Amino acid sequence: MEVFLTSPWVPAEIIRAHGHRPRSAWPATPNRASAVPEGVCSFAQSLLSLAESHPDAALVFTTACDQMRRAADAALARSRSRIFLFNLPATWQSPAARNLYRAECARLGRFLTTLGGPHPKAEDLLSVMIDQENRRAALRQFIQRHPARLAAEALAGFYSEGIVPTAPPTDAIPVPRGIPVALIGGPLLPSQWSLFDDLESTGGRVVLNATEPGERCLPPPCPIPSPEQPPLPALADHYFDHAVDAFHRPNTRFYDWLGPRLHERQVRGLVLWVHVGCDLWRAEAASLRDAFHLPLLTLDAHVESTGGLRDTNRLAAFIESLQ
Amino acid sequence: MTHSPLQLTLTEWDQRYAELARAGLREPWYGGPLARHVERENNERLRRLRFDSSAAALRLWNFLLTENERLRTARAQGDRLVGTMKDLGTVPVMACALPKVRPFYPDGAWWTPCLMECSDRLLVQADALGTDPSFCPVRAMLPAFLNDEHFPRPDLLICSTGAVCDDFSAIAQRLERLGHPILWWEMPRRRAPDPGEPACDLPGGLIGPAGQVECVREELQRVGVELGKLAGCDLTHERIRAGIRSANQIRRQLQTLRQTVYAAPGAPLPALEMLIAEMLAVHFCSDRGECLPVLAELATEATRRVATRQFVIPDDAVRVFWVNPVADLRAMNLLEACGGRLCGSDFMFTHALDLIPEDLPPFEALARTALADPMVGPAQDRARRIVDDCRRFKIEAVVIARIPGASHCPWEGNPIRERIADKLALPIVEIEIPPVCDALLPTLRTRIEAVLEIARARREP
Ligand code: SF4
Ligand code: SF4
Repeated sequence: MEVFLTSPWVPAEIIRAHGHRPRSAWPATPNRASAVPEGVCSFAQSLLSLAESHPDAALVFTTACDQMRRAADAALARSRSRIFLFNLPATWQSPAARNLYRAECARLGRFLTTLGGPHPKAEDLLSVMIDQENRRAALRQFIQRHPARLAAEALAGFYSEGIVPTAPPTDAIPVPRGIPVALIGGPLLPSQWSLFDDLESTGGRVVLNATEPGERCLPPPCPIPSPEQPPLPALADHYFDHAVDAFHRPNTRFYDWLGPRLHERQVRGLVLWVHVGCDLWRAEAASLRDAFHLPLLTLDAHVESTGGLRDTNRLAAFIESLQ
Repeated sequence: MTHSPLQLTLTEWDQRYAELARAGLREPWYGGPLARHVERENNERLRRLRFDSSAAALRLWNFLLTENERLRTARAQGDRLVGTMKDLGTVPVMACALPKVRPFYPDGAWWTPCLMECSDRLLVQADALGTDPSFCPVRAMLPAFLNDEHFPRPDLLICSTGAVCDDFSAIAQRLERLGHPILWWEMPRRRAPDPGEPACDLPGGLIGPAGQVECVREELQRVGVELGKLAGCDLTHERIRAGIRSANQIRRQLQTLRQTVYAAPGAPLPALEMLIAEMLAVHFCSDRGECLPVLAELATEATRRVATRQFVIPDDAVRVFWVNPVADLRAMNLLEACGGRLCGSDFMFTHALDLIPEDLPPFEALARTALADPMVGPAQDRARRIVDDCRRFKIEAVVIARIPGASHCPWEGNPIRERIADKLALPIVEIEIPPVCDALLPTLRTRIEAVLEIARARREP
């Protein structure tokens, strides 16, 4: 069965090991969500539409934010048997939070078996972990060598189909010029990828994609446990320890991840990509400015597309101000 | 002293105060005429409210409006102050169990823009600090923390996170980034236990997975250790047990008050005073000892009025259930001006009204109570309780107050409406109330009147 994941912080390995096909929600969300009520995050709303338009698939929501939690409630009320709400702890400092995360991974496994998947043996999960890790390694290589839009496409391909394009020789693709900026924020959907082009056409260049599912969502290589170790706790701990997101409390890991990368890549400006109705990312604008002393432009995201001419003009003015 | 209950303006209260004083009114140290809160704290909104005319209500208002002053006095006397954010009701029980520790909710700054009719400019400052009107009015807390003009800075800040609203989570995170360290504790999103999964009863008739209770218990134990460090002594089980007993005394008192007022044939107390009284359950308004007599006096007054059939609102008023607190207190007066009376409520902290189990290990009991928070579970659970209460108090109409910017409001209305429509078919209205609702009063009035009219038309002849 197809199992859509709405967050990068739920291990797709568990789904594969249970004989299901993990797909990510980002590329699959309908280009037009049903009417978005005021105050509702358009991405959270589009997940509901996704659930409706795929009656034969399962969906894993998470508790990363209130909006998604409540979208899950609405989806659960309509179709309990194929919706799973994964409790992603916001904290990460305490054993209680770690245990909660581990328990949720195990509970997800039980849910997957109710969908008809077999209960995997340890070695099955281990081999999926190794395979997934190899793909991730190839993906990391690919995105290092490619411009942001191609990298975003590759990331989407990986998350939705597990496909990783092979990296051509380094010199195959010319490195675009432009003022280096970091794109930070929530879900960036394929319908919104024109943002990369807009940035380039206004003289900028995304050197760090920290949106979802950008580079931020690729955990570092996962140490493969020895055959004697149970693989599920190792996998769970790896995800738990390396999730980098705005919803964590405190969200210092996100800042610790961002800081060195901004420095290394000589980023001159930050573009914050915030879905309308998303408090968690919106509130980071001021903190990002304070933390990195870089100019920041907030762009409001709607599911359908980027914000059109107005946003292009704002982008152009922003990039010009960075020259 | 017998006196027909009335709703008085602030100016009328001056006169009433003088009468009470002449008749020998005895007040606690924080007592005094209500009008002084306008002069001293700029609480201009009080001029537009109508207050119950009893001495009990006077004490309630004085208790509420002197909280910051009482906190400052407590600090001057060596008490340690704990800002307990978001959980609404649980951590204060633990903090109060320790000697010379006082919990309060900085979240209470929610009402400051209303009380000061935005003259404080807190919302404008919140905007400048990165939290614009897309966030709920709790954003007023951010500048209130920084400017030291409202509540004193706490010695320890504790905040529940996880299954909480995005508004508060984001604002509290911003606060921490602005240099106020926070002790975060995890609140899982309450769910129904899976088939075969070990489960526990929670207050409010809920059931939760034992694993979630364990998670919250461990988190609360961690919080308890920090509270103990602050107090300089351990938060022992004996101390918490005593704290739970005291909290339950207050909760019982509140239950009596609610039952007396909401079940009465007419309204012995107005909606506004009931909202304030219920709020006391959350942290005892920073003084657990005083909270009990404040509520007891109010309950006595309500009982006396019911016995003598002296109602403050005409007894043909429509019996209304109110969902969510109002950003502008004036909205509670408006309900009555439109011909309604408050007969049931879910101000988002019903778990703070339920008794904490006394027959369980204390951290376990607190964990179960915290997990029963209506805001950490699905709105369907909340709707179920609302329906039960509507039946219990013979409700005729429901008002759902939306909080501007709140992440939960756009999602909750439908499940609550659907459940009420399905089980009771009551008329419902959903209205958004900003911190100062004067400009919207005509619209709000029309909408409330319309729903009350429908309810009235459905009465049996
Ligand atoms: S974009 Fe923001 S509000 Fe929407 S689902 Fe993601 S974190 Fe939640
Ligand atoms: S009113 Fe709602 S959005 Fe605002 S802090 Fe309270 S729970 Fe959160």
